[in-house]
Amino acid sequence: MRLGIDVGGTHTDAVCIEEGTVRATAKTLTVSDLVHSIREVILALGVDCTRVERTILSTTLSTNAIIEKTFAPAGMIISAGPGIDPRNYFLTDDFHLVSGAMDHRGREYIPIDPREISSVAEKLKERNVAGVGVVSKFSAKNPAHEQAISSLIKPGFEHVSMGHTLSGNLNFPRRIHTTYFNTAVMPVQNRFLLAVKKAFAGLGIHSRLHILKADGGTCTAASAGEYPVETILSGPAASMMGGLALSTEPDVATLMMDIGGTTTDMGILIGGVPILEPRGVSICGLKTLVRGLKVVSVGAGGDSCVSVVDGKIRVGPHRDGPPACLGGPMPTPMDALAVLGRFPSGNQEKARSAIAPVAAVLGRELEGVAREIVSLMVGNIRANALEFVEEVNRHPVYTIYEMLHPELVEPRQLLVIGGPAAQLKPFLEEAFGMKCTVPDHAMVANALGAALARTTVQITLVADTQLGRMVCPEMGIDEQAPPSLTMRELKKRGVDLLRAHLASQGLEEGLEIRVVEEQSFNIVRGFSTAGRNYRLKLQTDPGILPEWRLPC
Amino acid sequence: MLRARRKTGLIFFPAYDWEISPTHPERQERLLYTQDQVLEEGVLDIEGIREFKAGLATDKDICRAHFCVPDVDSCITPSHNVSAGGCIEAARLVLDGTVEKAFALVRPPGHHAMRVVQGARGFCNINIEAVMIEWVRRHYPRIRKIAVVDTDCHHGDGTQDVYLNDPNVLYISLHQDGRTLYPGSGFPEEFGGPNAYGMTLNVPLPPRTSDAGMLHVMEHFVLPVIEDFEPDLIVNSAGQDNHYSDPITNMSFTAAGYARLNELLSPHICVLEGGYSIEAALPYVNTGIILALAGVDYSYIREPDLDPGRIREDPRVIEYIERLCEKLLEMWKTRGRAERPSSGLQQRHRNIFYDTDGITESQDEVVRLCTRCPGSFRIDSRATTGYRILGIHIPWGACPQCREQGLAWFEKEEGDRYFAVYLQDMDNDEYCVKVS
Repeated sequence: MRLGIDVGGTHTDAVCIEEGTVRATAKTLTVSDLVHSIREVILALGVDCTRVERTILSTTLSTNAIIEKTFAPAGMIISAGPGIDPRNYFLTDDFHLVSGAMDHRGREYIPIDPREISSVAEKLKERNVAGVGVVSKFSAKNPAHEQAISSLIKPGFEHVSMGHTLSGNLNFPRRIHTTYFNTAVMPVQNRFLLAVKKAFAGLGIHSRLHILKADGGTCTAASAGEYPVETILSGPAASMMGGLALSTEPDVATLMMDIGGTTTDMGILIGGVPILEPRGVSICGLKTLVRGLKVVSVGAGGDSCVSVVDGKIRVGPHRDGPPACLGGPMPTPMDALAVLGRFPSGNQEKARSAIAPVAAVLGRELEGVAREIVSLMVGNIRANALEFVEEVNRHPVYTIYEMLHPELVEPRQLLVIGGPAAQLKPFLEEAFGMKCTVPDHAMVANALGAALARTTVQITLVADTQLGRMVCPEMGIDEQAPPSLTMRELKKRGVDLLRAHLASQGLEEGLEIRVVEEQSFNIVRGFSTAGRNYRLKLQTDPGILPEWRLPC
Repeated sequence: MLRARRKTGLIFFPAYDWEISPTHPERQERLLYTQDQVLEEGVLDIEGIREFKAGLATDKDICRAHFCVPDVDSCITPSHNVSAGGCIEAARLVLDGTVEKAFALVRPPGHHAMRVVQGARGFCNINIEAVMIEWVRRHYPRIRKIAVVDTDCHHGDGTQDVYLNDPNVLYISLHQDGRTLYPGSGFPEEFGGPNAYGMTLNVPLPPRTSDAGMLHVMEHFVLPVIEDFEPDLIVNSAGQDNHYSDPITNMSFTAAGYARLNELLSPHICVLEGGYSIEAALPYVNTGIILALAGVDYSYIREPDLDPGRIREDPRVIEYIERLCEKLLEMWKTRGRAERPSSGLQQRHRNIFYDTDGITESQDEVVRLCTRCPGSFRIDSRATTGYRILGIHIPWGACPQCREQGLAWFEKEEGDRYFAVYLQDMDNDEYCVKVS
């Protein structure tokens, strides 16, 4: 038996899965004490807690800590060398630049200065920072500077995060921000995980705790404690994974939508796998290296404000409370749906009197105006969806083969969850000209997505046989590479590393490991080959547990 | 947060599956470390800098600039369609106003490819700038005057050849003196064809010229000439082999120098040409150029092994360059004064060597002298491949007489002497071939 819990901004949802089907669902209001919300929703499920084997949690904790800046002060030690001035990326006075530089192949050309680092560490201690993030340029090619700085300062601080352990991708500014957020939210994340475990013990749950990440996969609580930044933005990931679980045709390219009160979140599922943001997700306007689902948020929801501007109806982008038909202050698309007789739970009278002034200003009849409100909202969603798909297809390619054989994403069906999904279904079908499915259990889709998500891990291997170095940054591995190293041997090394990592965490056997990037180049000196440069990325794809069976 | 002062588009196409041979300078990983550097520096995350996908140039796009012998497919690989198509996309982005500046960071290069293509020369099959410029003239008639400033270390003899008779395309090349480097041309005396006298400008620089010398030429020759010419579009053929670490040249330019050059010139479009120091130069030069185009501070961009003292040029080199610039500027200013025949036909004969393919070509060119239009011309080309062809060009804005002359040339030849007779009719956008 496994529990999936999604702590959202308004509601906390839970679902209990047993033998591949839903045993129980529950929904409660989220209160400011998240642990309390989790406890309440588990109690509302009414299941035998002692039989729970795994609990997967998706929360807004790390996201909110960053957005609301409620994290502890963190220090940053950054070595860069020449290049764009790294001070452009400093966020607080506790960011410090130190000497040291690596080039693009991971060759040191300016060493670090231990005395300078000690003096920076002293300054940070005086500022009472608990944790320190360490980032050097090209650490994904050679982590030596980050490792050396980290071991120099480690004794003085509660925790130290190193940039290369968070991602093997190249992007120094993103590495700085990712490492900073990781360092900053670590204390709040660990306090939370501890409190959750205590609450679970109180409920008689002694199972493993897993946390949902931005990429729609899960990790262990231990891993979430060490890499809390990977758990940001898990809300949209939960809803995409929930949609995937509820899809009757997961192999068909699907445009997935979660229509809420204020916004509509959209993502794309291809062959049962959600599309990821290629360089990493953004939070608070800052770009990170955190692997996350590619989602777009449109300011159009069931509660979007309806107004008249220059003689034209405008829907959204803001929300001003619930719809009028549910006691809110402003006319909304839900009121329009109520006027059209498609939202029976709304108060018909209140809906009509909210839309009436809009119709009066325009001098038109009520039903026509209601229809236009709905079609404007759906049209806005469609325009954004088309732009989103186009953007995905505009992705640059770097080989002639890909240029001549483009793999275009063309969604063939809509899968819609969220409050107004069922009411909007016929309108969406008409606007998109595609089949639109609103699955059962859509009300707890997020919890379902969390419950059923598989473990995801991605590792990068970079080998340079001329320098005799093989690096796997995410695993902190920096070892010798023999001159004779082949891509096959490197792949085997990668698969072994990944399997060992999964096993060490006691995670599912039989997770499929996929090569997502594989490149191999000559290193030439004069007119002869002096070595090979290999780049490899392996991952376990986000996906749904294989034993899951769709409710008929 | 970093913001670009000018919206800048980057078309990056490293063609990781294309090479001349595995150890040739023009090989698969040529832009690999550039990509690493650009990604690691977070250049593509700077607000206002965006990466765009390359496109594919069509056969027709290529035929606007070239007589491909025997046909387009035999002269190119798909990679050339993409590198020329990348340039076209760069131009489209700028001319549609999507961005202010664009950089086509593509390969393979093109500036040694001449109007007649009998094979590959200097690693080039087709001239990607020329294909782009002709596409621009076809689709954006408002663009009349175009300046190409070629800062590759090698003389861009291909671009010079394509535009030799075109008074609306000003071609300026800065390069290592042809007496010391391939292709051995590019002297001040090469000053443009009879109908475009003064529209080809060559600045041969002594070996070991460094930033100071190159920037002197920019400030004291190139910029004043550009100001006079008032182009609608400025293109930089941004070869990067003037760099002090380049393995096949002898100059001493730095990444910061290239960035400053682009800041001064402020071209609308940069197109990558040569540059074969793939680890020590390209990553830094390309980063510098992108930042300079976008108006982002590049002052901290520096090569790891840079030692300014070691690469500074001899004061005599600077003196030489100062005198050269004075002489060239004088030539530019007095270009209209020379007594020159203004009607009739002018002929020239020359031989062209295709070093990459080992082909020799013999050309006889006839230009109709004209004061009202760029003038029609015909090229009789015989190559050691066995192909003899005749190419006839009726220029943009051809006067009735030049058009008549071009059509007459085309109709008269039955093709019995030639494998094929080609016609470029620019205004009608028609490219015909008669095969015997």
